Amino acid sequence: MLNALWIVLLGMAIIFAVLGILLLVMVLLSKLIRPRKKEEKRRIDSWS
Amino acid sequence: MTTGEFLGFLNLNWQAVAMLVIGGVLMWLGIAKKVEPVLLVPIGFGCVLSNIPLGGAAEAGGFLAVLREAGIHTEIFPLLIFIAIGAMIDFEPFLQRPYTILLGAAAQFGIFGTFFLAYLLGDGWLHVLDFSLKDAASIGIIGSADGPTSIYVATILQSKYTAAIVVAAYSYMAMVPIIQPPIIKAMCSKKERALKMPSVAGTISQRTKILFPIITVLVVGLLAPKATPLIGCLMFGNLLRECGVVERLSLAAQNELANIVTILLGITVGGMMSGTEFLRPETILVFVLGVVAFSLDTVAGVLLGKLMYILSGRKVNPMIGACGISAFPMSSRVVQKLGLEANPYNHLLMHAAGANVAGQIASVVAGGVMLMLVPIFS
Repeated sequence: MLNALWIVLLGMAIIFAVLGILLLVMVLLSKLIRPRKKEEKRRIDSWS
Repeated sequence: MTTGEFLGFLNLNWQAVAMLVIGGVLMWLGIAKKVEPVLLVPIGFGCVLSNIPLGGAAEAGGFLAVLREAGIHTEIFPLLIFIAIGAMIDFEPFLQRPYTILLGAAAQFGIFGTFFLAYLLGDGWLHVLDFSLKDAASIGIIGSADGPTSIYVATILQSKYTAAIVVAAYSYMAMVPIIQPPIIKAMCSKKERALKMPSVAGTISQRTKILFPIITVLVVGLLAPKATPLIGCLMFGNLLRECGVVERLSLAAQNELANIVTILLGITVGGMMSGTEFLRPETILVFVLGVVAFSLDTVAGVLLGKLMYILSGRKVNPMIGACGISAFPMSSRVVQKLGLEANPYNHLLMHAAGANVAGQIASVVAGGVMLMLVPIFS
């Protein structure tokens, strides 16, 4: 039973760690790569 | 040669009759009730084919057995389906709200909670059911709310209940609109459900959309390598969609590939439902634990949603946590409907879709993590 408990605890910890790192990388990416002006304009045009 | 050796009905036993009825019910659900017809019709038909005595479709050398060997045992079918899913999914709602990945992570507790429960009922403590550690892990993966991941993990772990697990995973996805609303309503007050979230999110550049699948494969693959085939196929399909230079391949993945593999996968899974293997008390428990898995997913997702609601100063509607379950797009629709019920001007669909596609990534990671940990602790 203890081994199953370890799987639960480690499993959730690893999932949060992996996805947390992915989140940080994606946030960093969004800071580094800004949308080009024409992409921003296309989006604003689509609202109007 | 006696007549009993070539007349199928003389060889019918109660298990075969029961499975023919179950196959009929699955087809009825798909055709008459429109419950996941794309899957339940082939599965139901495969179930009927494999239980016709002397038919030999699912026996060694039969075409269903050949498909099982070629597509399920090699894990090819679920991986090909993932290419198609990747090509169909627009990750923009998630990229606009990357924090939703944490809701996806939390909702995977359904997998691990159900795994623990199944193991306690089986070899772990009570010994009332024939559930080994690997069977329990395969049953828990129903909580990924993702058919291909369930097949992939259950096949690699060589569970005895693969057919039941796959049928449960697919049929419960259609039952998300029944399973989730009572749990969400019990956990979120009307005031919380009525909370509006800003409808306009930031622009995501095309370069980000192209880099996203590549970066995801690298991050997930390097940290949880067992998830590489699943996340690799999912992200390959998405790269085809987003790179903008292989539209023909993207459309082929979304249509021809998805349709052909769904037909083959469905009928093969149905062919795995032979009476002697399927009809045992454990199968019923697999279905019960499937509901538990979906419910725990929802509870865990909403709990983190509530935490975000508090920490954000009441800017995040806690209901979107329920979409961390990867049943895309059913779960998003459920939350959108509940939001509109509480407040007619509350459109949560894009926020919910963000959490929902994040749940797709999280469920694949959870599958890989399960495959990594179970052999270590077996």
